[in-house]
Amino acid sequence: MLEDILLKQKSLFETGLQTVLRGQENRYRSVSIQNGNLIGNSRSEERGICSRVYLGGAYGFASTAEYSEEAAARTIKAATENARYLGKYNTQKKEPYPSLGSSYVTSPRMIIDFEQKRIVELCKEIDAHIEKTYPDLLSRSVSYNEMTMEKIIVTSDAADGHVAYPRCGLYVKMSKKSADGQPIELSDAIGGFGDLEDHFKDLTPIYEKIEKLHKQLCDKAEGVYAEAGVKTVILHPDVAGMIAHEAIGHTVEADLVLGGSVANGRIGEQVASDLVSIVDYAHTFRGGQAPLPVYLDDEGVVAKDAVLIENGILKGYMHDRESADHFGAEPCGNSRGYIFSDEPLIRMRNTTVLPGKDTLEDMIASVDDGYYLISTNNGQADLTGEFMFGITSGYEIKNGKLGRAILDTTVSGVAFDLLKTVDMVSDTVTWCPLGYCGKKQMMPVSMGGPAIRCKISIGGR
Amino acid sequence: MADLQKISEIITEHIKTKGDLKADFTITESTQREISMKDGKFTLFRTLFDNDLSIMVIKDHKRGTKYINTFEKEAVEAAIDEALSSAEASDPDECFDIAPGLEPENFSNKALVPDIDKLMERCLELSEDIARDHKKIKVMEMFAKYTRGHSLFINTNGTRDDSEYGFYQIVMEFAGNDGQNSTGINVSWVNFDNLDKKLIELGSIEKDLTDAENSLDPINISDKFEGDVLFTPACAYQVLSYVMGNTVMDNALVNKTSKWLDKIGEQVASPLLTIRANPWDERIICHEVHTLDGFRSENYDVIEKGVLKSFAASLYASNKCGVERARNTGMDAVVDPGDTPYEDMVKGIKKGLIVGSISCGMPGATGELSGVAKNAFYVEDGKIKGAVMETMISTNLFDMLFNIKAISKELLCNGSMVMPYILAGGVTISGN
Repeated sequence: MLEDILLKQKSLFETGLQTVLRGQENRYRSVSIQNGNLIGNSRSEERGICSRVYLGGAYGFASTAEYSEEAAARTIKAATENARYLGKYNTQKKEPYPSLGSSYVTSPRMIIDFEQKRIVELCKEIDAHIEKTYPDLLSRSVSYNEMTMEKIIVTSDAADGHVAYPRCGLYVKMSKKSADGQPIELSDAIGGFGDLEDHFKDLTPIYEKIEKLHKQLCDKAEGVYAEAGVKTVILHPDVAGMIAHEAIGHTVEADLVLGGSVANGRIGEQVASDLVSIVDYAHTFRGGQAPLPVYLDDEGVVAKDAVLIENGILKGYMHDRESADHFGAEPCGNSRGYIFSDEPLIRMRNTTVLPGKDTLEDMIASVDDGYYLISTNNGQADLTGEFMFGITSGYEIKNGKLGRAILDTTVSGVAFDLLKTVDMVSDTVTWCPLGYCGKKQMMPVSMGGPAIRCKISIGGR
Repeated sequence: MADLQKISEIITEHIKTKGDLKADFTITESTQREISMKDGKFTLFRTLFDNDLSIMVIKDHKRGTKYINTFEKEAVEAAIDEALSSAEASDPDECFDIAPGLEPENFSNKALVPDIDKLMERCLELSEDIARDHKKIKVMEMFAKYTRGHSLFINTNGTRDDSEYGFYQIVMEFAGNDGQNSTGINVSWVNFDNLDKKLIELGSIEKDLTDAENSLDPINISDKFEGDVLFTPACAYQVLSYVMGNTVMDNALVNKTSKWLDKIGEQVASPLLTIRANPWDERIICHEVHTLDGFRSENYDVIEKGVLKSFAASLYASNKCGVERARNTGMDAVVDPGDTPYEDMVKGIKKGLIVGSISCGMPGATGELSGVAKNAFYVEDGKIKGAVMETMISTNLFDMLFNIKAISKELLCNGSMVMPYILAGGVTISGN
């Protein structure tokens, strides 16, 4: 077994150098049907071994696309040589960071693979349902994407382990013509942690979500442009989750803090309304499994929750071992790499705004003139806390009632300023379990939140 | 080093045992060396040894693909079997096909032997140049890398392309920072094939650093108005990519959501605009030599003087939609320069912005774009008044193409695109 092969390589770690050896396999399964044409049908695997060696404040890293004892030895040697090569250039040497206790960590769930035929049949069945049920569509697409990761981590001075991240999603996109002939689109993603049978054995709830998506599309086809300006809005949990990840999460990743983010030097400050608390959960949320459970990171740190904002006060950053040492903080297991040849970076896991006490109905009823913003297709944030999200679905709120749908728009603001305007928070967290983050490398993440009421700048005509 | 010829023979022989099918495959062996710097210090040195095999098979008009990163015989043969199983589980579509057989050919580019010590020197020099000449810049991270690869592309119609390539790349992430305040993140990157020049002189690195320093004290725009936007080359590329994605690419054609489905030969933009897809332009470093379907890549024009000349259709989309196949699939964009100097373009702006990038969602088929103007400067009466924050722009991309007022003489060549500044009117600009 590769696990045994890699564990044996500890004897090749040089004394005094902080070394990690990682074996990793990513599997991808995808099928894509557009307007009934099966245009994408692929399976792929990427696997290999990497090693990272820390010496005097710099890292040597190497990776090899082989899964063998000989490849492991070669990779450790190359990483060690690279660390020594950099040592020639760096005159100011840093001390090693503190060692962590050794243990062996496994995640409770491993990976099940399904034949492509099963995936193709699933997509065809759903596509046929959409074609039959919704003849008013201009176009439709159904895609299935599965990305599973399996990692074996072996370290010189932290925990070892064997962890897995199975995840799959179904992506449905529909378009229809508006009254003036414009193509109006809307999409949704369904699925999450686990495999095909976990999420798509019973298609009844899938069809209910597609029905809801179609209703929103029909409303949007008769929609209006949002009025530009600063508005009182209710952010659906999906949009609030995006705030937690993009607008707040990235600014409190320690590598970006060191790069000069707006959160630098503000630990202990009131940065949000006292109704706002944000946590990056490791693997367990309120007694249940978080949507992307991380038990051990790629530096051998046993994962635990990272509290970012508590009752509006900035409490901490997310770290890798090096930044934790720099800030005198405890690492919580946020360091992960996407494929075997990627060095680990500080990444979020399950980042959410914590629930409050209001109901969504009361929140909508409280708005005289504003918007209910439901879906977002992407988001970006900056060091300054300035952010934007694309809004793909939403409704006007007039006199406490939902009104006309709105067409695609963009919302923007400065994260901490926005969070200071939060004055209502709903009582239920909804997770968006199929997120990806693109900070140098792609990385599966999840984000979530309750609905929140705040003021935000909306782009429009 | 892997013996690519021997691996290709194993694949070819195994495919022959599967009966009558069409297939193509690419085997690539590559090595990448990457140096990272933060705050003037080297922090990471990576060496990545990679193998890649991608195979596509078509049997009875059914298509399946498989990708692995090992060359072991058993794994390679299993990959072919799995691609075939996937195809058999699929639906037949007579539009799936591969290119006809072509004469075998060898390709290579200039930078096949790296000089890592020299690259290190150039990185140190860049770091010193920034520390000396751009004191209000904080380099968050800089990656300098060299990639060397060798690949074989073979199809069952007899094509055999043997390609050797090597290129350098630098990516810089930085912000203006005076110790108190920080600007947003800027990214500047360049592909290049030699180390003759100082890195700060490549692409738009020097100008991007200067712009970031000049963005430290942003001014507020409080009103909303319709004005001009001068897109920097990087931002022009971003905007034109959105247009192309919604009009000439496969998805827009197959889904019939493109607004240009019946516009070949018609005016779709200002006569000032010519967009070419030119992988063989000498300013494009390390480009595709064959299309994804196996045709030899050739240059072609997408838009010439505002007239739509070609879609970027793959062989499948071409067969499916009854349109002409594009001559390459790389979309290495080369936009023709105009006759207006950049300085004159700025002077011609009555009220508007210079925009370095747009933070926005991918616009849909309607072309409606709204987003936050990043790395942006407010211009009034031909003078740059200062950097702006929290300023949104919105426009319709199809209208914007007709609202182009000028294209610059100056071009950004960063190794993967050649792009001028583009000035467009009629953009809604709203401050906070």
